[in-house]
Amino acid sequence: MTVRDLLLPGLLACAWAAPAQAQADPVRELDALIDRSGDPASAMALARSQIGEGDLLGAAATLERVLIDFPDADDALLLHASLLCRLDDRPGARAELASLNGVAGSGAAWAEVTAACGPVPRPGRGE
Amino acid sequence: MTRTSLAAAAARIAIAAGLTAAGAPIASAQVVGVSAAVKNDVRIRVPGTPLPRPVQVKQRVALRDQVQTGVKSQLQVLLLDKSVFTVGANARLTIDRYVYDPSRNTRSFGATVARGAFRFASGRRTTGGTSTISTPVASIGVRGTIVEGVVGEAAALIAAEETAVGARMRGDPATASLIVLRGPGRATQGNAAPGSITVTSGGRTATADRPLLAIYVPGPGMAPIGPFPISPGGLMQLQALLHPALADRFGWRQPADNLATVPPGQGMPLYPAPRDRPRLPRPPMPGGGFDDEPPGQRGVQLPNLPNLQPPPPRPRTQAPPPRPTNQPTPTPQPRTAAPPPPPSPAAAPTPTPTPNQPPSSVAAPPPPPPPPPPSLKSAPPPPPPPQQFNSVPPTATPPPPSNPNQPPGQPGKPSQKPPPPPPPK
Repeated sequence: MTVRDLLLPGLLACAWAAPAQAQADPVRELDALIDRSGDPASAMALARSQIGEGDLLGAAATLERVLIDFPDADDALLLHASLLCRLDDRPGARAELASLNGVAGSGAAWAEVTAACGPVPRPGRGE
Repeated sequence: MTRTSLAAAAARIAIAAGLTAAGAPIASAQVVGVSAAVKNDVRIRVPGTPLPRPVQVKQRVALRDQVQTGVKSQLQVLLLDKSVFTVGANARLTIDRYVYDPSRNTRSFGATVARGAFRFASGRRTTGGTSTISTPVASIGVRGTIVEGVVGEAAALIAAEETAVGARMRGDPATASLIVLRGPGRATQGNAAPGSITVTSGGRTATADRPLLAIYVPGPGMAPIGPFPISPGGLMQLQALLHPALADRFGWRQPADNLATVPPGQGMPLYPAPRDRPRLPRPPMPGGGFDDEPPGQRGVQLPNLPNLQPPPPRPRTQAPPPRPTNQPTPTPQPRTAAPPPPPSPAAAPTPTPTPNQPPSSVAAPPPPPPPPPPSLKSAPPPPPPPQQFNSVPPTATPPPPSNPNQPPGQPGKPSQKPPPPPPPK
């Protein structure tokens, strides 16, 4: 039995294992994204990284994901609104901002909203 | 053929849904995505198994798995191409088709939303393939965009408050579908590209290509209405369904609250279900749960979660819509007994509408049973001419005369009552 005789079975074995490995990679990539957005701080960092890469839709998904578990993450709410403006959904962003009664958020977060959406009135506090 | 190209070819084939590779467990399960965020009561029913199972974060989602969410529950699914599918409370979602070829950057995706609110955001830009979301009455073509929608009673309630639709257009509480394009718009930044959606129903197709354009399909076999710009109030009601936790925090208005604002005499925006259509009971379940399954067939019993609160009672929704079959009607009595005199508007006191009752069900005499809604098997009514709902006031658009969803008569008119029966001999 020569090397040539083993080549074809070897190639077939690699092809057999490759599908599982190749499909596992996209799934593991998704697992990594989920791990990086397990808390508001991590999710904000991931979202900003995605924004830096131009992946605004991915950043919006990251923020929506963290807001499911942490609806009190005010900065994530404001960053999400600013993303809507950058995605050219300004009326939608303004409608959502107007509905965030009592939201606080940091000064930097509000500055980001203003930069993306223009001047917006802050929603009423405790209304 | 080199080893690299052989492996790449095998990878393409393996990722394509519908192909089972023996000895590769992930490929055989036809995984299409991963549950990225789970809120409260979320379950998946795997085809071939009778009971749904609770979902955990990072759980694999496969083709034809039916996702079910309970009260105040939410789920986000990340698909392999990083598209995102989010469903709100009381939703039913199934991924029917998914073919993703990263080497060729193509994706073909198909999903069905049987009810509830949903949001789909396309992942990385692809060079080919189609994305389709189906509701019971419409087929939505999605092209690189963010689309939100709701199926069921909430869709009809939200649409009824939109100027372009109006309360006179009655929707099927089981299948009405409201779809909204959220972006990206033409001035989008980053790598996103402007998207668009097409909604096909009743043999007609409507297209929305700008953010916040909405399309509404009232029921089976009916042409889509729109596109029209959705109001901020309607948009936020949709957000309340998609994000129940945020709705609770900020007190966002729910679609059911619209019933309190229906002007007197206009009636409810929902037409009664036909007699032969079983109406699914929806009792409020403590701690969540699914209201369309008998207790004996529900999934694994979940432990009592301390953070779950029973939903607040909603007396408005508990009041069923007018059902002519259940209401006492002045039908002719058997000849063995004397027929009762028909009620007259002067003799019968008109009860004051209460907040718990829709005005039409209190003031109106029982109308004759309405015709059944059009079905796919019957000839659909002639669709109204396509309209652009930009700034046309509702009074300028007369309702189609042959629309079966129009109320049979105005409430309160004595002429609508049936004649008194003849006296027995």
